[in-house]
Amino acid sequence: MKKLAIITIVLFAAAAMLVSASGQREDGAIRIGVIQDLSGPTSVWGNAVARGAELAVSEINAAGGIDGRQVELRTYDVRLSPQEAITAYNRLVDQDRVTAIVGPPISNIGLSLAPVAQAKGVPIVGSFIDPRVTVQPNGEPWTNMFLMQPSSVQYSEIIADFALTELGARNLAVMYDQTNAFSVSLVEPFRNYVNAHGGNVALEVTYTSDDRDFRTQLSQIQRSGADAVYLPIYIQEAVLTLQQAEQVGLDIPMIGGLDFAPPFTDLLPDPTLADGIYVANNYSDSEPQLVDVRAAYMDMFGEEPINKAFKGYDKILIIADAIRRAGSTEPAAVSRAIARTSNLRGTTGILTISPDNHQPVGLSMVMYQIINGEYSELGRHVPESHR
Amino acid sequence: MYFLQQILNGLSLGAVYSLIAVGFALVFNILKFSNFSQGGLITVCAYIGFMITRTFGLGLGATLALTALAGGVIALLVERVAFRRLRRKNSPLIYYFVSSITMGILLENLITIYFSSNFYAFPRFFARSTVRFGPFFMATTDLAMLGISLSSLLILMIVLYRTTFGTAIRALSMDMNAARLMGINVNFAIAGTFFLVGVFAGLGGVFLGINYTLYPQLGKLIVKGFVASVVGGLGNILGAVVGAILLGLLEVILVGVPGIGSGLSPVVVFVILLVFLIVRPQGIAGIIVKEKV
Amino acid sequence: MGYYLSVLTFTSITVVAITSIYVITGLAGLFSLGQAAFMAVGAYTSGILITRLSMPFLPAVVFGIAAGMLAAFLVGIPTLKLRRDYIALVTFGFGEAIIAILNNTANVTGGAMGLVGITPYTTTPVAVGIAVLAVVLARNFKYSRFGRQCIAVKNDEVAAASMGVNVAGIKMMAFLFGSALTALAGTLYASYTTYVEPGLFVWTLSAEWIIIVFFGGVNSLTGAVVAAVLLGTLPEILRATAEWRIAIYSVLVLLIINFRPSGIFGEYELPLWRSIARRFRRAG
Repeated sequence: MKKLAIITIVLFAAAAMLVSASGQREDGAIRIGVIQDLSGPTSVWGNAVARGAELAVSEINAAGGIDGRQVELRTYDVRLSPQEAITAYNRLVDQDRVTAIVGPPISNIGLSLAPVAQAKGVPIVGSFIDPRVTVQPNGEPWTNMFLMQPSSVQYSEIIADFALTELGARNLAVMYDQTNAFSVSLVEPFRNYVNAHGGNVALEVTYTSDDRDFRTQLSQIQRSGADAVYLPIYIQEAVLTLQQAEQVGLDIPMIGGLDFAPPFTDLLPDPTLADGIYVANNYSDSEPQLVDVRAAYMDMFGEEPINKAFKGYDKILIIADAIRRAGSTEPAAVSRAIARTSNLRGTTGILTISPDNHQPVGLSMVMYQIINGEYSELGRHVPESHR
Repeated sequence: MYFLQQILNGLSLGAVYSLIAVGFALVFNILKFSNFSQGGLITVCAYIGFMITRTFGLGLGATLALTALAGGVIALLVERVAFRRLRRKNSPLIYYFVSSITMGILLENLITIYFSSNFYAFPRFFARSTVRFGPFFMATTDLAMLGISLSSLLILMIVLYRTTFGTAIRALSMDMNAARLMGINVNFAIAGTFFLVGVFAGLGGVFLGINYTLYPQLGKLIVKGFVASVVGGLGNILGAVVGAILLGLLEVILVGVPGIGSGLSPVVVFVILLVFLIVRPQGIAGIIVKEKV
Repeated sequence: MGYYLSVLTFTSITVVAITSIYVITGLAGLFSLGQAAFMAVGAYTSGILITRLSMPFLPAVVFGIAAGMLAAFLVGIPTLKLRRDYIALVTFGFGEAIIAILNNTANVTGGAMGLVGITPYTTTPVAVGIAVLAVVLARNFKYSRFGRQCIAVKNDEVAAASMGVNVAGIKMMAFLFGSALTALAGTLYASYTTYVEPGLFVWTLSAEWIIIVFFGGVNSLTGAVVAAVLLGTLPEILRATAEWRIAIYSVLVLLIINFRPSGIFGEYELPLWRSIARRFRRAG
């Protein structure tokens, strides 16, 4: 018994030594870290971001690297756990000595990383839409946290404005997951915008992430007489919602978020179930900057890129651009340079980051309507107040 | 009217829970522990069912049959790997519990690795999504599920009460040692039980996959089966079904109650559970069925 | 350096939590599937006091522990008399209920969007110090009169009662003591990550803790602590194999349960501890 215990401990110690040794290799490459959920509940997104980043790095390296230095990625899986994210961040900073980090599309992880990043100085470029990830409670930006897509406020205002002006809806209903930070963060700004612009949120219904049956909520929406319903929800719930809405007979326009973007309709037993849904996406497939990247991605990974993949790609573009402008791989200098990113041509739009809140400026969303199971583009939508 | 419709919805939800709860009750009946590996088993079955339809383009009936068979085989493997040795060594129950949870995590993770947690969905099996009865409606899949769960439960009851194998299982559930002395092949009977559990996991997995799409955490619903089987009286199969249907009804009704909604319904379920256990620790089954299956 | 310190800090917090499970499950034989909820109670109580009332760390921790014990008392009164498998169910239901309440009181707790901006009081020395303290307390408890009564109750309730042990009382004592430790782990966690959300404290975390205790040996405090350290750092060691690590971890646990059901350490305790305990007993 004692023997077994000793053997186990020795084995672990040996393994630990191996691991710490592997972190010490030093060569001329620029290291960039990647923190993603690769095996937890949001792993589809995490893998897409990681792959997008990988593609961007391989293109940069093929073109001679950044200022002649090759780029090397260090990717860690954090299983959607703040605890693992903090450890992974520390490891990337202390062991791997990375210059900057590609962050996840998950606000909860961003929230737990912000104070650590503030203390340790290596910047994170992510797509965590909760504005609290980039702005401290006192209104100052977190020095090393950067968002590269519309924040939850910008995003819900775009959607709300679209519903009011383009759909002419006045009475709106909202259904969201009250146990999911992403979902919750998209509700309040929507409600505020609608109420401030002559509309009315007639009904808000919630569910929890354990629920699989939304028919009661959908019946409530139907009985409320709302003109349209806003669904800031995750992809699986979105699939269920559409199936169950059909059963309940709810057929008012639905406005969904990023999760309704392609390849969402492929998940439905029948793509025409999604007819009448309005979808917001970060980019348009018809925009020329995407074509080459999409082809290269399909070439490299043998699958269609989803929108998170393009974001992973753009995160690397932002970091590489900042390293070039800073003329240094020193994290603090790179962080300052990221804060001054301006008019950088990415796949998801022209990226300019505001130094005041570390969020992008003037990003719009491309609206789609699903007709006969196909996405039909309605063009970019920019609310009056965002211009 | 609205209320009756809600009851129909609650019944549908209860039917899903009952497929899970029955598997739970079957294992508890004999080995007296809560088998959490069933969540992983259901997930695996859901994906197997999906692969079967996708590869062979089969209809619902054939998919269900093949998946149920596959589920039975996997359950046999689970029993072999996670519980057989524990049983031989007469380990305390708590070890079964730990073993079953770990096995569940392992199965779920193998699915995560293999399917890289992409989302998949079953093709549509029915031309019409709902069936209407006058002003009421029911989803076709729910109706099919209700029908298939009821008939499979009926078959299960016949197996348990009308066959030698069923008698063996019932004898085991009362006293394993006595049963062994009476010449019952314990290993065989337990393996048979696990096969049945796998069959239910196969049926449940396919229906969960159809209704709720496929994702590696699908097995999380196992906790509903756990609650239902306790409310029904641990180890009692009919009780588990009744408990599952009550839980389904309760949840659907609570969503409609202002101030509670879906968010606070776990609190209400907890309070009811607590009151229930204190007032009636033997579960509902004490009222409905006399004999412990 | 910072990396090792953060691994060490999180491991220390896990050790505190595991010690609590050792007391509840290892000593008293109670099975709590909702123990993570007591961690949530500790984390949220201290976190809210620190963020909203700017309370210093020490009193916040004390309140966190007190809240955890109060919750344990309320859950324990009706529950501990029940059959052991029902205790698992009720604690499980309690855990779900706590998460639901946290999600539905967003104006105080932040709901699903989490409680942010908790002052980072938990430094590595604090965490390590408290972990050592927790282990020493649990060891003393094990070798005290109460600890021996716990073990007697776990092995045979009827026999223990006939020997004059107050069965309900001793169960409650172990549950309160254990839950106080769990809440303590929660307060440390909140003041280290500075951010907590309800989804962190789900029942799978409680199950993971129980698995760790069994991995080390349910009858050995030494084993539980070593297992907490090993399995706490294992994910770091296996980080290179990203997606496979949970599967590897599960297989390891299955092997242990099957081939060495008493855990790696069985009944074994570090000799040093036993001798201290013996001296302790002689003195007392």
